[in-house]
Amino acid sequence: MKFLRNIYKKAHPHFAEGGKLSRFFPFFEAVDTLTFWTDEQTKSGPHIRDSLDLKRTMIIVLIAMIPATIFGIINIGYQQMLAMGISRGWLANMWVGLQSYLPIMVVGYATGFFWELLFPIIRKQEVDEGFFVTGWLIPLILPPTIPLWQVVVATSFGVVIGKMIFGGTGKNIFNPALVIRAFIFFAYPGSISGDAVWVKVADGFSGATALSVPAAQIGGNAVTLLNGFQQFDYSWLNMFIGWIPGSVGETSALAILIGAAILVYTKIGSWRIITGSIIGLVVTAFITNYFAGYSTNTMLTLPPHYHLVMGGFLFGTVFMATDPVSAAYTNRGRWIYGFMIGFLTVIIRSMNPAYPEGTMLAILLMNAFSPLIDYFVVRGNIKKRLARYAK
Amino acid sequence: MTQIKIRKGHSICIAGVPQNDLLTNISTAEVGLCPIEYRYVKPKLFVKEGDQVEQGSPLFFNKENPEQKWGAPGSGIISKIQYGPRRVIEKIVIKLDKNEKGFSNKAIPLNAIVKLKRKEIKSVLSDSNLWHLIRQRPFNHVANPADEPRDIFISALHTAPLAPKLDLVLKGQKDAIQAGINILNGLTDGNVNIGISSNNRIEELTGLDNCKLHQISGPHPAGNVGIQIHHIAPLKPDDIVWTVNIQHVIILGKLFLTGEIDPSIIISIGGPGAKNPIHVKTRIGAKIGTLVNDQLGNGDYRIISGDVLTGRKVEKDDYLGFYDTIISILPIDFSRPFLGWIQPGSSKKSYSLSNSFLSFRKRLFNFTTKQNGSLRALVPINAWEDMLPMDIMPNPLYRSILANDVEEMEQLGILECDDEDFALCSFVCPSKIDVGAAISKGLDIMRTEG
Repeated sequence: MKFLRNIYKKAHPHFAEGGKLSRFFPFFEAVDTLTFWTDEQTKSGPHIRDSLDLKRTMIIVLIAMIPATIFGIINIGYQQMLAMGISRGWLANMWVGLQSYLPIMVVGYATGFFWELLFPIIRKQEVDEGFFVTGWLIPLILPPTIPLWQVVVATSFGVVIGKMIFGGTGKNIFNPALVIRAFIFFAYPGSISGDAVWVKVADGFSGATALSVPAAQIGGNAVTLLNGFQQFDYSWLNMFIGWIPGSVGETSALAILIGAAILVYTKIGSWRIITGSIIGLVVTAFITNYFAGYSTNTMLTLPPHYHLVMGGFLFGTVFMATDPVSAAYTNRGRWIYGFMIGFLTVIIRSMNPAYPEGTMLAILLMNAFSPLIDYFVVRGNIKKRLARYAK
Repeated sequence: MTQIKIRKGHSICIAGVPQNDLLTNISTAEVGLCPIEYRYVKPKLFVKEGDQVEQGSPLFFNKENPEQKWGAPGSGIISKIQYGPRRVIEKIVIKLDKNEKGFSNKAIPLNAIVKLKRKEIKSVLSDSNLWHLIRQRPFNHVANPADEPRDIFISALHTAPLAPKLDLVLKGQKDAIQAGINILNGLTDGNVNIGISSNNRIEELTGLDNCKLHQISGPHPAGNVGIQIHHIAPLKPDDIVWTVNIQHVIILGKLFLTGEIDPSIIISIGGPGAKNPIHVKTRIGAKIGTLVNDQLGNGDYRIISGDVLTGRKVEKDDYLGFYDTIISILPIDFSRPFLGWIQPGSSKKSYSLSNSFLSFRKRLFNFTTKQNGSLRALVPINAWEDMLPMDIMPNPLYRSILANDVEEMEQLGILECDDEDFALCSFVCPSKIDVGAAISKGLDIMRTEG
């Protein structure tokens, strides 16, 4: 790798202060430290440091998303195959999937990195690593049929308004990837909701997602409806494995749980948030089940373990609710934050007949409330200390 | 005897631990005193270059509290007084005489020390100019002789990386320890609390009178006296407690038992950069160059007076810090591995508490001074919280310090904190934030505004 180092060495004077391209030094620094890990030495504080840095933290999240990504790509092709009524191998399905996945990913990353570089260059800061994860999330949380120009517009909005205006990674209030999704949801609802967008085949195809099956029905039992559904296999097991239509990365509960295990084992994702939100979802679903008899709302009859594997809940709670920056940052706060996400997901799913997917809005809402949760947790700690002083 | 279990924290497995129980004697021709290492002290000199001083004769006093005087660590000629930027006194160097002359008082037998009055003890401490053996919390600065501390705390438990073996340090010093405890007991109406290991096998720490022993188990920072205070009897507003290093208790004890100042101290020299990690018997303020002479190989090294987490970077012509019992030597590594942040890692190449590298075996690790990343905005992945065994929320506290919010800092318990207790938080922080420096800054703000 000496060759590359020499190129950098030659380029360095141009980017350094006084050089022709000195304005673009953040760009140079980013490329340089991405290829060769930084040799910065400790100056103040402990003379030795843990090997983990923010680049590594982000890459671990990315690795955790790989199972869901691969599954999602194959599933794009698989759903197309089912819709067209043909049969082909998983490799062919993957190839078909990549054809719709890669353009979204490339466009998302290109748009995002443009803004991620522009702001540090103007502000004369170092480029931070946050967009690795955000950019990876973009194709996973969108339907495979999303028009690319909408990806460009939404990513620009999400990165600039969702993150950069607050100062970059570590300072944002909302999860930028969710801001991107919410932007498309409210600006171009036709591209991300309804029955027509989830399978990439010729125009005119329509297939209800698992959540919209019980949502569209008045009265009856959700489980019976799902198991009796003809077009897709909406049995619990098939939804757990993930051969169902939906946003690219969200369908396979199994692949997402592998990712969750990686995040929790490496201590980078908060197990408190994940556990808290699952508890919240299960408890709330039990409560809605209890009241189902008093209403004709079919969603109320959906049992907790179905809620868990349907829609974007697991994906959202594992990869987006755990974003440490926009989540609550106290341990007790994380429990409350997680629980409320689970609670709100079920409430939005059951109470909002127009849009049966609640996770995105639940997480965004709790992002907004997480500072308040932390405030009360911190007050609690202060109160306890004052009580001890009074003794 | 109370039991205290510390669960949070981590004892860093660093290479270069002194293996055998041999004590090497290293004598030094020069000793030095660094006024900058004492917090909140504005030194005013009594002496100038070329003056003859005796051991214990005053070198300077604190302008803010003239009762606090610093005695010479040895007798000889003041060969150099080095000033830094803005005329800060960086160090005072004494070239030692062959025959040591110094402070002497009448020898007091152990059973008579108990009967000494507080005033008598204080006057001996003032006459020998050794008040800086005792520090106070909050703020961790030299004790004010006029104060009456609520309690006195001693940590007889070493958990810091590369700390010397306690059994070696305390061997044969039981009388001196007991005498030191008796003296400290005479200085407070409260207790003298000593934190010892829960599986203590050191004979010198058993059967001690006039003190309360607390058995403490757990990883670093369980040996930090601040953590022990928090778990034994936490500070309340307006409380003042004193703390003394265990080796300084021995010096205090001997001061009364023999009437003389014994400046000897046992330290460990180690770390991945040390050729031959050893335990050394030397004296307070010894010259670093003399101590590490045989330790350095070719290449770049950083010498640290103190442990690798909280110590001070020194050069060969600096002097051992007064409160330090470790000299750590780290190699400096400027290598830049290709795509190092994606490489899987191994137990030889990476050391992380986050399980994000393939380094499952915890083994002695060759640390360098590499920061392993660049400074970033805080991304709270709960790393700090797992390293701080106190009922203190490091994250909100850090934010309140950044916001200069004095009231909130106090409510969040900053007065119970010291930067050394947060060193592990900085060690694990993926954003490479120096949390300890923030805590110091907060304490400074509290001291001027609180």
